[in-house]
Amino acid sequence: MPLVAAVLVPGSPLHLLRPDNPPWAPLANAYHSAGALLAAANPEVLLVYSTQWLAVLDELWQTRARVQGLHVDENWYEYGDLPFDIAIDTTLAAACIEGTASLGVRSKGVDYDGFPIDTGTLVANHFLNPHGKLRLVIASNNLYHDWQTTQQLGAVAARAAEGLGRRYAVVGIGGLSGTIFREEIDLASDHIASPTDDRLNRELLDCLRTGPADRVQTFCAGYAPAARADMGMKHLAWIMGALGDHYRGAQVLAYGPSYGSGAAVVNFHC
Amino acid sequence: MPKGEIIAGFLAPHPPHLVYAENPPQNEARSQGGWEQLRWAYERARKSLERLKPDVLLVHSPHWVTQLGHHFLGVPQLRGKSVDPIFPNLFRYNFELEVDVELAEACCAQARELGLVGKMMRNPNFRVDYGTITTLHMIRPQWDIPIVGLSANNSPYYLSTEAGLEEMALLGLATRRAIEQSGRRAVLLASNTLCHWHFHEEPAIPEDMSQEHPKSYAGYQWDMRIIELLRQGRTHEVFELLPSFIQEAFAEVKSGAFTWMFSAMGYPEIPGELHGYGTVIGTGNAVMEWDLTRPSHAVN
Repeated sequence: MPLVAAVLVPGSPLHLLRPDNPPWAPLANAYHSAGALLAAANPEVLLVYSTQWLAVLDELWQTRARVQGLHVDENWYEYGDLPFDIAIDTTLAAACIEGTASLGVRSKGVDYDGFPIDTGTLVANHFLNPHGKLRLVIASNNLYHDWQTTQQLGAVAARAAEGLGRRYAVVGIGGLSGTIFREEIDLASDHIASPTDDRLNRELLDCLRTGPADRVQTFCAGYAPAARADMGMKHLAWIMGALGDHYRGAQVLAYGPSYGSGAAVVNFHC
Repeated sequence: MPKGEIIAGFLAPHPPHLVYAENPPQNEARSQGGWEQLRWAYERARKSLERLKPDVLLVHSPHWVTQLGHHFLGVPQLRGKSVDPIFPNLFRYNFELEVDVELAEACCAQARELGLVGKMMRNPNFRVDYGTITTLHMIRPQWDIPIVGLSANNSPYYLSTEAGLEEMALLGLATRRAIEQSGRRAVLLASNTLCHWHFHEEPAIPEDMSQEHPKSYAGYQWDMRIIELLRQGRTHEVFELLPSFIQEAFAEVKSGAFTWMFSAMGYPEIPGELHGYGTVIGTGNAVMEWDLTRPSHAVN
């Protein structure tokens, strides 16, 4: 089976740039653990979907063979820069672009020097691909796509990887609940801003642990609006679509805050 | 030091297509023109700006989205390449700009005094967003006037339209106070499209104007209604209608620049001058000017 791993991870730069902050340390440590699990699974390519790469026209896929640069987050610029050097599996990306036609979704490749790779993808790449040995396929979050379409995109990407015989891992990058602190806080006191969000997040994570897949989807339909979930949890839809029948529950490696919003590192059993 | 003043405000939308169509040397992408009516509108606005001779341009952009408060560019000189994540085929712009940090700091301080969260962006590697750059390029391609760049806090989307725009009005008041204390003669730029319903696929030739028209007739009608009220100086009515306009036309003014600018100007009931209107991938865009230096502000 070429699918070797699947993880759901946060896209905030805070856990990367301030890993020693007590509320964020468990998530940073878990992110490293997820990286070690991926390394042990030995994929050739990561199929990445980040809620922070926004698209409105077409479904965009990164097709530049090597993307390099220095990124500064537009919100958390004071905590440092994010240098990056990422290799793209352009053959697989092209196959994904071709594959979405069957969904009625028009896709386009993005191959431009200086293209602003989103913060979430860079954070995940840093933790999960620290030596840059793995190639990536990066898909955008088209704002007009719903859970089902995103799930289908994940399935298309997985089929394309299998068609090319790749050993692949699936990575969904985004947060959980979306209530944030709108005032400046002592970072050491960060916590989930809303008790209701906290309860809902824990219920979601319990659901992911045990499944089954249709229960996850049903739960998310109610959870997403109630918890103001990050982009309707489409990063989870990407994973669920790619996993398909291979979903066997998951292990929650860490759960915690990101300036009031929810974040988790989840390793799916494959 | 004489008291500073806001001498004009412009509604100055930021479709990157306009820069693309103009083929300036800073932009890598090349075109065969297109969107001439809007570019000619900006030509008229450029002449007005030349006559106004401001000390500083302040621009509020919906494409620098911030969650925690209202942010201000705070590095004296910023340069780099800004690639539009939505239209990378059209906009890959090598920018170099000078920031009026002193005024930006004063705006930030005034915002904090009014109870808003204000933050100064001090990272020299920061990539300025394409909304800020497009508006500034289209209004002043010489790049010879210092600028203040303001982010768009996501409060109108996170809270509610009304609560978010109340914050933007406070930000406008803070901006006005800072300008008055600075001694600067300032021009405000609201980088907003009107109706924001747009097509979901791009033509094979982006500048093929045979493909360009309003996406929504209802949205177009809303734009004409708002523009006509603005031309007549009926500002109060516009702001009474604004929530409905935003709701029904998916208007980008929701992101706050329009409210910020009018609040800073004191919601003047003076006729706005329409330099031109046009659509870009179906959205409605008006270039308009409110010249506060004119001796007579009588409604036509």
